[in-house]
Amino acid sequence: MWILTEKMARRREDKRLERLEERAESRLAGQKKVTAFDIVLYAIMIAVCFLTIYPMYYVFLNSISEPLEVVRGNVTFWPRGLYLDSYKIVAHDSKLWRAYGNTILYAAGTTLLMLFTCVTMAYPLTQPRLKFRKLVVWFILIPMYIGGGMIPAFLVIYKLRMYDTIWAMILPSGVNIMNIILCRTFFLSIPQELSEAASIDGASHYRILGRVVLPLSKPVLAVISIYTLVGTWNSWFNALVYLPSERLHPLQMYLQRVVIAQTVDLTQMMTKEEMQQAVEKMLSSQQMQYSLIFFISAPIILVYPFFQKHFVKGVMLGSLKG
Amino acid sequence: MHKKNQELPLPAQGGKKRGTSPAGQRGLSRDARENLQLYSILLPTAILIIVFMYAPMFGLVIGFQNYVPGASFFGKDVEWVGLKHFIDFVNSYYFKRIMRNTVILNLLNLVMGFWVPIVFALLLNEVRARGFKKFVQTASYLPYFISSVVVAGMVISFTGSDGIVSRLISALGGETAAWITKADAFPWIFTITRVWQSFGWSSILYLSTISSIDPGLYEAAEMDGANRFHKIWHVTIPHMLPLVVIQLILAIGSMLSVSSELILLLYNPSTRSTADVIGTYVYREGLLAGNFSSGTAAGLIVSLINLGLTVIANAFCRKFTDYALW
Repeated sequence: MWILTEKMARRREDKRLERLEERAESRLAGQKKVTAFDIVLYAIMIAVCFLTIYPMYYVFLNSISEPLEVVRGNVTFWPRGLYLDSYKIVAHDSKLWRAYGNTILYAAGTTLLMLFTCVTMAYPLTQPRLKFRKLVVWFILIPMYIGGGMIPAFLVIYKLRMYDTIWAMILPSGVNIMNIILCRTFFLSIPQELSEAASIDGASHYRILGRVVLPLSKPVLAVISIYTLVGTWNSWFNALVYLPSERLHPLQMYLQRVVIAQTVDLTQMMTKEEMQQAVEKMLSSQQMQYSLIFFISAPIILVYPFFQKHFVKGVMLGSLKG
Repeated sequence: MHKKNQELPLPAQGGKKRGTSPAGQRGLSRDARENLQLYSILLPTAILIIVFMYAPMFGLVIGFQNYVPGASFFGKDVEWVGLKHFIDFVNSYYFKRIMRNTVILNLLNLVMGFWVPIVFALLLNEVRARGFKKFVQTASYLPYFISSVVVAGMVISFTGSDGIVSRLISALGGETAAWITKADAFPWIFTITRVWQSFGWSSILYLSTISSIDPGLYEAAEMDGANRFHKIWHVTIPHMLPLVVIQLILAIGSMLSVSSELILLLYNPSTRSTADVIGTYVYREGLLAGNFSSGTAAGLIVSLINLGLTVIANAFCRKFTDYALW
């Protein structure tokens, strides 16, 4: 317990120093005068922001604007009129909600499995007493450089009778060598004396892992969970290869069918009156696709700014050489 | 399934056996017990790795067979054909096209994309207003979090005949066309999309390297009368150079592993001549068409070339820098 409190105190201290530094720095910055370089610099940065944000903003604008204006291509910077019926139709699409549920299921399953595999593989590798550690390290490093490829992987899934089941979406994606290495790197940063003390007290490795190592590993577990969650949320290729059944398709696969393959026509979701109205308004399937894109991307867009510090931490941890 | 017997119990048994050899009776039993615990902890994950990573490696043998779907990899009635599929693929019209496309797409990405995160990190570091800096950084990560399907959907719609990019190009005096269906334009569309997706994310490493530079160096430079450009040129860039070299070598090492997922989403029959790469080829001609053996052979050739490149790149890395992958 004392370690945790000490850690928290240290973190608080760090934060305070950081803030002081910030203040000093901003005061310094305030004194320096703005040069031509600064103006160019800020212009470039604003352009960068524009390039990264605008495409999504454009999609959003077109999804809520008056359909006629969208068809004419008049919507560029501000919404023209307000028309939310495309969202109403998208939200009534039961296939979409089914896909939503599937994605949540796959994401949760994969993340839990990923945490389990990372922790259970990484912990033994940090133990100096593990015999044949070199061999185990090779065992996990080899798949990083050599793989069977798409077809043999498919055949293995097929032979295991996982083809067209949710297991094909969860089990193969639940192990990731990079994440195992990430986890191991973090475990190594935990003072060895802690587990040694527990070991002297007669604790088994199960106990040490569960009671000593895991409680101290929340940062790395958070990093891995978020990596996996975002990865699963955005993944579609496994579904393309392993899941022929539409009822099992995750969100991105559904989106792929609507937007890329165009095998689903959203306009068929409409009732007769809606159709009538839509035709009058010239609501195009393009606009409905925009609505669907925004509808599906919104959760991640809203959430990632709060997660980014974990991601950044992951990049840093990973670069510390596994 | 026999692979499991081959790979796993070996260390576990060995661990127990070896544990009996060192001196001291108490130490020995404890050692064995601890190893038993440790191996039982890693066993489930090891099984998953064997099944989903090693078993497909054994599945590569079907590249040397005329594999019939449903048969086992090592059955009695397997028809072995040696290197036939490999030779056929190398001699086929596809091989040249795939290699050319892969090299072009990767070179374009390297030339157009490699320097972007570096320059972005250098410039962003010069932004003094903290809030604005944070905002730009967050905005630059956004494309990385948007799924490939959404990105591809946007690209297809923007570069279609009445898409906003196509309209912009024709407004600027360019040709009026549906660019996404033009084979010549595909490498550029793909590269720009890829750079757009990754530059912000790739800049994280560079930014953190910059922020780890000792501020004293900048102060010292300032004492010597250095202005901002001097400081960037003489302090920041020399500190970033090792990382830049490593990243460059790594990028060269993964030259042939172009991300086929995005291509699969973006390409269409009219752009295949410039877009087809190994991943898309294996998916289309191997998996979808059911030519499992020749598809596996094609995939294996390219991953072998890739592995060779990685090894060479790593050797360079080891020779010229302190860092290496292994």
